[in-house]
Amino acid sequence: MKTSISVSVNDRSHRLEVDTRTILAHLLREQLGLTGTHIGCGTGNCGACTVLLDGQTVKSCCVLAADVNGQSITTIEALSSSLDTLHPIQQAFVENQGLQCGFCTPGMVLSTLQLLGDNPDPSEQEIRHGIAGNLCRCTGYHFIVTSIQDAARRMQGAK
Amino acid sequence: MISKEFEFFAPVHEAGVLELLDQHGAHATLLAGGMSLVPAMNLGLVEPERLISLNHVTGLDQAVEQDRVLRLGAMLRHVEVARNPLIQRWCPALSTAAGVIGDVQVRHRGTLGGSVAHADPAADYPPVLVAAGAAVRLRSIRGERSVPAGEFFVDLMLTSRAPSELLVEITIPKPAPTARSAHVRFARVEGSFPIVTVAALVDPAAGSIRVGLGGIGPRPVLIELTEDLSDGLTEGALARLAEAAHQASGQAYGDLHADPEYRRAMACVFTQRAVKSALNGARR
Repeated sequence: MKTSISVSVNDRSHRLEVDTRTILAHLLREQLGLTGTHIGCGTGNCGACTVLLDGQTVKSCCVLAADVNGQSITTIEALSSSLDTLHPIQQAFVENQGLQCGFCTPGMVLSTLQLLGDNPDPSEQEIRHGIAGNLCRCTGYHFIVTSIQDAARRMQGAK
Repeated sequence: MISKEFEFFAPVHEAGVLELLDQHGAHATLLAGGMSLVPAMNLGLVEPERLISLNHVTGLDQAVEQDRVLRLGAMLRHVEVARNPLIQRWCPALSTAAGVIGDVQVRHRGTLGGSVAHADPAADYPPVLVAAGAAVRLRSIRGERSVPAGEFFVDLMLTSRAPSELLVEITIPKPAPTARSAHVRFARVEGSFPIVTVAALVDPAAGSIRVGLGGIGPRPVLIELTEDLSDGLTEGALARLAEAAHQASGQAYGDLHADPEYRRAMACVFTQRAVKSALNGARR
């Protein structure tokens, strides 16, 4: 069954017809072509599909597209448009090798954006707590934590 | 993509929800935060015919303090339950529990009422509500009723909510000024469902101890003891707590993480820890 929704995605308004069975992650990837949002588990465990819904991180595999009518969504694509304009968090992940395969990275970066918005100077413990909803099977997390510490410094320096 | 077709409703007023429930009853499923329901739909484990979203209903997410009770709207997200000053003041164990559910993303979306209505045996809220003597307020087109938490949780993922009823709020009686509370849980990995989850409400002045024990059986269990707490917890009192927890966890189940015997042993240990933590912690 179809339903019609209005959403703002990365500050662009859309009026869309969606199948009620569509999850938000599929809407972003398949209807809007925003493939930076990844789908890992589809059960709310891995966090690869993390996006911001009205400014708060959620797992977009566990939110129905039909249920975000009137709301605004921010995906990883909003953070930068080219290699030259990387967000300080992305730059920190690149320079500290906070990724290997990169599948979890969009979610990690958006969880970092949320974490540093709530707490600009987090301790290592707070960082690990902040990314507890994002699984990485490559790095062992150590370089990700280092990247987030660097990102915090960069974002504080930018203020 | 979810395989089976369903009708989707997103009413903006509570009256609209109650009308839909009256019309469709057992043929409609309520969607709150969806942190359990949507994954289950993705996996094809749950196939609702009609889905009624509560995410756009106004007025269901308020926390209000009254003379004797705290009234908490069903659609309060876990993140709000964790940081709301009224809840932190009057039922800190509930705030603590909210702060350890799932992960950041889950706490942004998941709700108090959704978790309570889902009645997962390892959920963190039910033992807190049982220990605090909370009640669940249910409303239908025909009226309203309040069910004590201890009666609301009937069995594994089964509550006394009728298909035509909406869980609108949780009411928590304000504890005595001398009372203290705590919530502790034991899980292998942060964010996973706990092996045991325990809440304690202790009033040293009255010598009363109330413990809500979750994760150990189909429904949360209440342990009530009276002890002389003027010199803190004696060895005798600790032994009686462990014995009570052992008795209360006779229906302990086994899973990948813990067999029934281990789970029962942990129920005893974490019951003692919850009470100790309440006594050593902040008031209420």
